[in-house]
Amino acid sequence: MIRNVGKLLDKRKVKKADIRQPDQDSKPEDPLDASFSRNVETFRSIYDKCSDVMFRSFLLFGKTQAMIIYIEGLSDIGGMEENVLSTLMQEKTVASQPLHEFLEHKLPVSKMKRVKTIAECIESISAGNPLLLYDGEGDGFSLGLSKWEKRAIEEPVAEGGIRGSREGFIESLVVNTAQLRRIIKSPALKIQSMKLGDYTKTTVAIAYIDGLVDMSLITEITERLQRIKMDGILESGYIEEMIEDNPYSPFPQIMSTERPDVASSSLLEGRAIILVEGTPFTLIAPISFFSLLQSQEDYYQRYMVGTVIRWLRYVFMVLSLLLPSLYVAILTFHAEAVPTALLLSMAASREAVPFPAIVEALIMEITFEALREAGVRLPKQIGSAVSIVGALVIGQASVQAGLVSAPMVIVVAITGISSFMMPRYIAGIAIRMLRFPMMLLAGTLGLLGVMMGVIAIAIHLCNLRSFGVPYLSPLAPMKSRELKDVLWRAPWWMMDSRPRLTGEANLYRESPEQGPKPNRGSEEQ
Amino acid sequence: MEKGKISSLQMAFMLYPTIVATAILGIPSVTAKFAKTDFWMSPIFASFIGYLTVYLAVKLHKLYPGQTIIQYSEQIIGRWLGKIIGFLFLSFYIQVTGLIVREYAEFVVDSFLIDTPIIVVMASMVLLCAFVVHGGLEGLGRGALLFIPVFLIPQIILFILVFPDLEFKNIFPVLANGVMPPLKGSIVPGGWYTEFFLISFLLPFLVDKKKGMRYGMMTVFAVMATLVIVNLVVLFVLGPTTSSKVYPLMNVARYISFADFFEHMESFIMAIWVVGAFVKISVFFYATALGTAQWLKLTDYRPIVWPLGIFIVITGFWSISNSMDLERYNVNAFPFYGAVIQTLLPLLLLLIAMISNKNKKNKQSNTTDAPMK
Repeated sequence: MIRNVGKLLDKRKVKKADIRQPDQDSKPEDPLDASFSRNVETFRSIYDKCSDVMFRSFLLFGKTQAMIIYIEGLSDIGGMEENVLSTLMQEKTVASQPLHEFLEHKLPVSKMKRVKTIAECIESISAGNPLLLYDGEGDGFSLGLSKWEKRAIEEPVAEGGIRGSREGFIESLVVNTAQLRRIIKSPALKIQSMKLGDYTKTTVAIAYIDGLVDMSLITEITERLQRIKMDGILESGYIEEMIEDNPYSPFPQIMSTERPDVASSSLLEGRAIILVEGTPFTLIAPISFFSLLQSQEDYYQRYMVGTVIRWLRYVFMVLSLLLPSLYVAILTFHAEAVPTALLLSMAASREAVPFPAIVEALIMEITFEALREAGVRLPKQIGSAVSIVGALVIGQASVQAGLVSAPMVIVVAITGISSFMMPRYIAGIAIRMLRFPMMLLAGTLGLLGVMMGVIAIAIHLCNLRSFGVPYLSPLAPMKSRELKDVLWRAPWWMMDSRPRLTGEANLYRESPEQGPKPNRGSEEQ
Repeated sequence: MEKGKISSLQMAFMLYPTIVATAILGIPSVTAKFAKTDFWMSPIFASFIGYLTVYLAVKLHKLYPGQTIIQYSEQIIGRWLGKIIGFLFLSFYIQVTGLIVREYAEFVVDSFLIDTPIIVVMASMVLLCAFVVHGGLEGLGRGALLFIPVFLIPQIILFILVFPDLEFKNIFPVLANGVMPPLKGSIVPGGWYTEFFLISFLLPFLVDKKKGMRYGMMTVFAVMATLVIVNLVVLFVLGPTTSSKVYPLMNVARYISFADFFEHMESFIMAIWVVGAFVKISVFFYATALGTAQWLKLTDYRPIVWPLGIFIVITGFWSISNSMDLERYNVNAFPFYGAVIQTLLPLLLLLIAMISNKNKKNKQSNTTDAPMK
C-alpha cells in the first residue's frame, strides 16, 4: 500500500545528490612533471606522515638523479637490491638510446610497466610495486616486485567434506585466480578485474568461461558492480548486498563459496564468479534455490548416495522450517489429530509447564539461537563451556524444573540439527529466521496459519530472481530436462546438458550415451 | 499492463484448482440431493457446459488475440455497450470472488477454527492473494505449478487410506428413476464449470497460444474426472446419507484409520485444501484486478490490487448473511447467474462478432471485386 502511495508521489521525488567527500589523496589524472625534483616533492607531500613509505634516492650512471619509492612490507626488498639497485648503480656507460628504452633493456625484472600519471604511480605504490622515478623524461617505472605475507592454502573451514579437493581460497586474489586457472586450463577462462572502494581500492574480478556464459549476464554484472560507490569494500558480503536483485528478501540470491572446485563447477555450468581481494569467499551468480541445497560432494559420491542425501536434506529443510510451528499448531488447535497414546504422554509431560505451547516454543528457539551464536563468536577454549551450559539450559535442567516440556526439547533439538544440514550456511540462516514468523502464525491460526505462511514463502520464491534467472527453476517454471539435478542426482553419464537458464549458450557438456558398457567379462569365455 | 508470460501447462494448473477447490467440498451433497445414488454421473453431464465455455473463450480470443473480454467486448458491440458488458463482468467477478472468500472462511470457521472471528480468516486469505496478484501472473503461474502436487497427492493418499471403508454396492441401483435426476443434479456443478471462462483472462499471456484450446479442454476433462472420482468415493463411503452432510469429503476423511496412528487427519486435509482455495481466489482476484484496470484504461493493475482486496472482503459480507444463505445462493442462484454471465453472454458476443466480421469481409471483398468488373 505504502509503495503505491509512494508511486503517486513519485514525481516529487528527487534523486539524492551524491554528497560524499571524495578521497582527498586521489589526485586527478595529473601527468608526472618533467622535473624530477618537483615529482619527488609531490610524492613527499602525498605520502606526508606515512612512516611506512620509503624514499631511496640514488644516481644513475653516476650522474642522473633517480629514486625508488616503495612501501615497507609490501615489496620484495631483496629482489629490489639485487636486481634494480645494484644493476643501475653499477652501470657507468652513458646510453645512447632514450632512457626508458635503456631501462627496459637493462633491468632484470619480469613485470615492468611504464607510468606517466600521478594516479598510476600511486596505484603502483599502493599495490606494493616499487616506483622508479628518474630525471629527464617525465615518467617512471612500476616494478613488479610486490611481495607480502599471506596465509597458506588451507582446508576451507565453513565447507568441509569427505571426498574432493581440500584446497580453499585464501585472502589473496592472485592466488585465488591462479587456483581457478590451475583447474580450468583453457584460455576461454576470462578474468576481468576492476577496482572498487574510494579508500580501499579493492580489486574485484569477474571470472567466466567464454562460450559457456551468456555475455549479457557479464555486462549486467559489470554494470551493477560499477554502480557501487562507497569508501571501502572489506568483504564480498558488501558487494553481494549491493548487487542482488531483491534486497528485501530473506533468501540469498548470490551464493558464496570458499572452494575452488565449487567455483569451477559453477563456471562450467555457465555461471559467473566474482572474486574479491581480501576474502576467501567468492560469489557465484546467478543461482537458484536448489544450488543452496546442493553440496559439491553430491557429485563426487556415487549417484545413489548423492540422491538419497539430497532428499534427506530436502526433508530436513522442511522440518527446520516447520517442525516447531507444526508442533505448536497441532498441540494448540488440532489435538484430535494426535493418536491418543501419544497425546496422553505429551499432555502428561506438559502438565507442569506454565506456558502455552507458542510461548514455550519461542523461548526455547530463541535460547537455542543465542547458544548457537555464542558458540560461533567465542574463542574455542570457552566454546566447550557454552555447550555444557547449553545442554543444561535447553536440556535436562529446564525439563526437571518444569519450565519446558520434554517433547519441546526434542523438537528444538531436531530443528537445530536439521537447520545445520543445509550445505550453505546462509541458506540455513534464512530458513532459521523464517521459523519465527511461522511459529507466530501457528500460534494464532493453527495449521491454517502454517499453510498460509508456506504459501507466502512459496509465492515469494516464485517471484524471486537471481540475475534474471527464476529462483525456483527448474521446478517452477518447469524444465523437465533439468529435474535430473534436482529430484535426483543423475549419474555423470546422464548429466549431458548444462542448466538451460545459465548455460544456454552451449547446452551440451558431454557426448551422449556414455553409460558404462563393459566389454570384458560380459560374455562367457 | 501484464508483462509476464505463462505456459499453457501453468494455465491448466491454475484453472484446475480454480474449479475443483470449492467444488469438491459442496458438490457431492448438492448433487446427491437431486440424483440420489446416481450423483456421480452429474459432473459428467455438467462438464459439457465447461467444454462449451472454454470453446467460446478460445474462439473469441482467436478473433481478438491478445485481448481480454473487457477489451474486445468494446470492439464487438461498440464502446458504450461494451463498457456496460465489461461492468457486468467486473461486478460479477468482484461479487463472486467475495462469495468464494466467504465460502472458504465459512468452511474453515465451521470445521476448525470455531472461536476465530470470520473476518480474520477472510482478511488473511485476501491479504495473501493480494500479495501474489501484486507480484504478477508469472508468480501465480509458477506457484500453481508448485501447489498442484501439494494439492493432489494428499487427496490420492486419502483415497487410498479410505479404501478399506469403501462399500461398492452403494452404487446400486443405477438410474432407478431414469436420466432426469442426474441431469437435474448436473445444473449446480454446471455453475462451477462456467467459471472456466476465467481462461479468457489468461489466454492473452500464453507463450504457446496454439495449445490454449487443448489444455483448456484437458483441464475440463481433469476437473470432470476428479469430481466423478470424488463423488464415487463419497458415495462408496457414505452411501445414501451423503445429501445430509454439509462437507461430505470431510466426513470421508474422518474414516481414515491407518496403523492406529493416522487418525483424524481432517485438519491436515483442510490445510492442504487451503492451497487449492488460495489458487482459486488468486485467479479470480487476478481476473478482477486485470479486468478493472483494463476497464478503467489504467496503465497498471497493481495500484488497485489493495483497494480491490478490501472491496472483495466487504462484498463477502454484504451479499450473504450466513452459511445457510450461502448454500441457498450456490444452489439456486449461482448456476443461472454464472451461466448467463460466463457462457450466454460470451456466446452472444461471439455470434455478433462472427456476423459483423462476415459482413466486413463481404464488404471488403465487394470493394476489391468492384474494379475487376
